[in-house]
Amino acid sequence: MIVGIVGVPCWEEMQKYVKRGDIIIDLDDAIPEISIEDSYLPKIYCSILKRVTSNAITLAQAGKLHLILADVGEGKCDGMRYIASFLRELLPIPVVEVRNANSTGWGYPICQSQLPLRKKMELIVETVSKPINPSTKLQKTIPSCGFWGVPPSDFTLLELFPPTTHIYGWTRCMENKTPANRELELQLDEEVPTVFFTQNFCQRSALAFHLAKRYQGLFVQMDHHLTKSIRAMVEAFIKFNVK
Amino acid sequence: MSEKILIDCGTSYTKIYYIDQNYYDVVPSREFRKWKKELRIPLATGYNTRGTGEVQVNELIALAEGGLRLIPEDSFTLLDCGARDVKYLNMKEGKIIRMDWNTECGAFAGQVIELLINYFDIDPNKLPSDSEKIPVVCAVLGMTKMFDKIAEGVPYPKAFMGFLKGIAWNCYHLVDKPELIYLSGGLCENRAFINSFPCQVRPLGRYVLLEGLKSFYENPSRLRPLEETIKQSNPL
Repeated sequence: MIVGIVGVPCWEEMQKYVKRGDIIIDLDDAIPEISIEDSYLPKIYCSILKRVTSNAITLAQAGKLHLILADVGEGKCDGMRYIASFLRELLPIPVVEVRNANSTGWGYPICQSQLPLRKKMELIVETVSKPINPSTKLQKTIPSCGFWGVPPSDFTLLELFPPTTHIYGWTRCMENKTPANRELELQLDEEVPTVFFTQNFCQRSALAFHLAKRYQGLFVQMDHHLTKSIRAMVEAFIKFNVK
Repeated sequence: MSEKILIDCGTSYTKIYYIDQNYYDVVPSREFRKWKKELRIPLATGYNTRGTGEVQVNELIALAEGGLRLIPEDSFTLLDCGARDVKYLNMKEGKIIRMDWNTECGAFAGQVIELLINYFDIDPNKLPSDSEKIPVVCAVLGMTKMFDKIAEGVPYPKAFMGFLKGIAWNCYHLVDKPELIYLSGGLCENRAFINSFPCQVRPLGRYVLLEGLKSFYENPSRLRPLEETIKQSNPL
């Protein structure tokens, strides 16, 4: 059976399916052969949730998805809760709504490691439902720069940052397996020049905007892809602020 | 021998600095693209650069460096109003604490202002200061509102001044309402636009980005490539 997850459902919940040999796929991720359809959701909407919806509908209709495990609690967003409510009616497969309120942190060594920022992000996303490969060497670094926020729809953005960029915000909560831990989401290294990132049309942008002002960081929003102006802003911020 | 120049190749105009002659020039970008002169361009910036120049510097980096070179303080708000877009940065002690590059909603503000000045054949230095601000979402939509005013009988210099005030108001709010704005770009030569801001404006002229390139040309270490910045952030 193929189980699609959205957000970060409880580890134990996902492992029930893993142990019986089911395949877990992350519906938040880009699937190369599936294009994002504008017909399912309003045009002006979060591109990650558009991707989740397109992935879920396309795969379910093709018989390549048999169950959806969707975090619809504080660990994800209101948008997913509303989408799950109509996916249940629309799809011929069960859509199980879960709420991950786990408060026991697993730690976040990937966020603080020497790996390039894109690799860090890929590893965090890959390990939502499976343990990290024990051969992966993670070396803790002193942060020269910070990336606060969610995994972006276009990971090219992350290639602009130095490897000593630490990850904060919801992505760090993802690695810690506590996606609803707002306290951790708000914790920062105040002296570290930080880029506060959210997707366009995400409610989290209110927090990112506030934190960017408070810590004199750079507030950046992106829709589908990295644009010339976003690239220029991030490059300029790193050039003048990161020593 | 090829001439050495630095260029800021904008949407409407290309600003040129002749390195050996220490001389500035401005030519329409459409003409610059046709130049057959033998040129060496060590550094280039601007929207229309498209592969021109040995090293291309992004516009915000050129703007910030130009600001640091021209402005006596190291904390300032610098706004660049171009033909196509509006960008700004807020520096505090040499670090960028806020910036934005409004490529969409600043849509063609500079170009529309120039088109309207030519269309009305008016001197922007002789516009009435008592005009009421027209709400301007972007230059194109603002222009329709301005023509509505003219149709209602408002004299066109007055309507145009209201349009300028609307654009200035947007820019003032974009940069978070400071007491003092340093202005960059061709609109520095438009006294009516400068007077439209509800705060103090110090025009720096249209060569601010070129000044940034000059700084990098004279001190190549300041133009440390980003990749090098990345490499130097060594892990423990």
